[in-house]
Amino acid sequence: MSDQALTYLDANSVAAEGPAWLDVRRKAARASFADAGFPHRRVEAWRYTDLSRLVAKTDWHPAVPHDGAVLVPEGRSNPFAGIASHKLVFVNGFFRQDLSELDDLPAGVEILPLEAALERGTKFESAFDANGPEAMAPIAALNTACARDGAVIRLSEGIQLEQPVQLIHYTPDGGATVAHTRNVIELAAGASMTLLEAQIGWGGAYLVDRVTNLNLGERASLTHVRLEDEDIDAVHLSTVLGDVGADASYIANTLAIGGRAGRLQSALHFAGEGAHAESNTAYLLRETQHLDSTIVVDHAVPGCTSGALAKGVLDDEATGVFQGKVIVAPHAQKSDAKQMSNALLLSRDAAMNAKPELEIYADDVQCAHGSTIGELDGDALFYLRSRGIEEQTARQMLISAFLGDVLEQISHEVARDALSERASQWFEADSEGEV
Amino acid sequence: MLEIKDLHASVDGTPILKGISLTIGDGEVHAIMGPNGSGKSTLSNVLAGREDYEITKGSITYKGKDLTELSIEERASAGIFLAFQYPTEIPGVTTMTFLKTAVNAQRKARGEDELDAVKFLKLVREKAKELKVEEDMLKRPLNVGFSGGEKKRAETLQMSLLQPSLAVLDETDSGLDIDALKIVADGVNRLRAPDRSMIVITHYQRLLDYIVPDHVHVLAKGKIIRSGGKELAAELEASGYTDMTESAA
Repeated sequence: MSDQALTYLDANSVAAEGPAWLDVRRKAARASFADAGFPHRRVEAWRYTDLSRLVAKTDWHPAVPHDGAVLVPEGRSNPFAGIASHKLVFVNGFFRQDLSELDDLPAGVEILPLEAALERGTKFESAFDANGPEAMAPIAALNTACARDGAVIRLSEGIQLEQPVQLIHYTPDGGATVAHTRNVIELAAGASMTLLEAQIGWGGAYLVDRVTNLNLGERASLTHVRLEDEDIDAVHLSTVLGDVGADASYIANTLAIGGRAGRLQSALHFAGEGAHAESNTAYLLRETQHLDSTIVVDHAVPGCTSGALAKGVLDDEATGVFQGKVIVAPHAQKSDAKQMSNALLLSRDAAMNAKPELEIYADDVQCAHGSTIGELDGDALFYLRSRGIEEQTARQMLISAFLGDVLEQISHEVARDALSERASQWFEADSEGEV
Repeated sequence: MLEIKDLHASVDGTPILKGISLTIGDGEVHAIMGPNGSGKSTLSNVLAGREDYEITKGSITYKGKDLTELSIEERASAGIFLAFQYPTEIPGVTTMTFLKTAVNAQRKARGEDELDAVKFLKLVREKAKELKVEEDMLKRPLNVGFSGGEKKRAETLQMSLLQPSLAVLDETDSGLDIDALKIVADGVNRLRAPDRSMIVITHYQRLLDYIVPDHVHVLAKGKIIRSGGKELAAELEASGYTDMTESAA
């Protein structure tokens, strides 16, 4: 039993308010989290990200709805704003109907806030039962106990959703507030869509915890593009727990640039043969920012392919973490898994921790993992400058090229350009800082 | 154009250049020949401004100004171009993007208008055709997976786009077969002009059959031990470096 967890739960967990199936799960989750407590560095999967310490000595309390205009600071706006989409907007973790766009949903498409879905009587038992692997289970439990709202997206069989769906989360108010968000995304067989998600905050000290349960049926396809751009004093947790069906595909590309500390974790489980999943993350950190990118891919069935790529740029005293784990079940022959972490250190005081793990119980598989940590290539920098390109521009070109493996792979062209632009802004802020 | 006086330079504290003096007039082509380790590449890197090379003594005056006060990129915009012996591979930056960035960076530094995409494309296509550089090569990441010939043609293409006043060609012939060498040499010869000088650094005389110099200097152990006309190159080819370095010693 952890006092820290109990205090936190007393302040932030959701009281039993129905429906009954959810109350049962909230109660169990509360008990489980109270027992486990916030993960700390003596827990192997959290060795480099001591969440217990990160949230300590703060009187956390629930965020309250933010009514009225949301004044987004310059340069921090929704990067996907120009893209015609179905859109759900959350502010301080609460759904804002007036900022969302949910008209003209095609038949077979459900997009609505969790609260409304619960009122309709929709049950999400399996989503709320999926706690992911041990590394992620405490956070899933915390989220189940405390989540107040979130997004529900469900596509019926064979629906090819033409417009992307945007999930935009703004956090304008800080002051030690917390917002726990639960998203449930279910694509029935043969359905496909693009999800554009942005988490943007400027309220100061706050904690956001977002858990997304994915369930992709046979041949379903989800393209997931994310921006994590939190306040420099914020702590953020983002967890994706996914089941990927036979011949289904899940492709995630994320740009993370904000936050005092963050953990982006994904657990992807193959539920049918011939499935593909990849999760690629680009992150740019400076000052004392910390970002942990953790992924567990479970090749539970034969013939699936997976990839995880993390590309980090670390300046000042920033720290990065990559933990990648591939599990191949004994009968999961013909599995193909790749995991790679590349970090570029721009400062002598920046640090990177990479821990790839393979647990392979089958013999006819291809699994590759690797990690590199380096500095900007001095020869390349000299070459570019010798052609008249200014040093700052040359550095930016090389860093953009380094991140290109993640950002250039985004299939939605406008979203790709928007996130590349966001990364460029990061460099500009840097050059201003150094003058 | 360029006046080097008693130049001494070190790399990581090891003296490499030990008193080089060289005067290059407008429009002149000077060949610098020498055995491996004589300091040829050090001289080219020092001229380009590479930061690991420390000038310990002497001066370099370019167009009447102290060259050593300029940064790498300032030298480039002032008209100095180094054609690399081993052009650096830069993954993730396409050749076209790089060329446009470089051309416009220099134009901007000189207070000229930047070229728009259409004008730039027209210019590149024209120059690329002369050097038999395929459009496909321009779309590939800079120098990545280029053959030896492609790399040197790409260097020559950059030179013809950037129109330098002083081109330093560092072992441009290395890694080239005779056909590739001719294409590159033709490209270089087209750039010869009354207001453009060149320093051609090479180990072998072969390149100088195609790019005929006005003056030839022999570099050994960080010093110029002999200077002469183009016939000096032929003499070297016949007798080798050993004779010459020994007779100088």
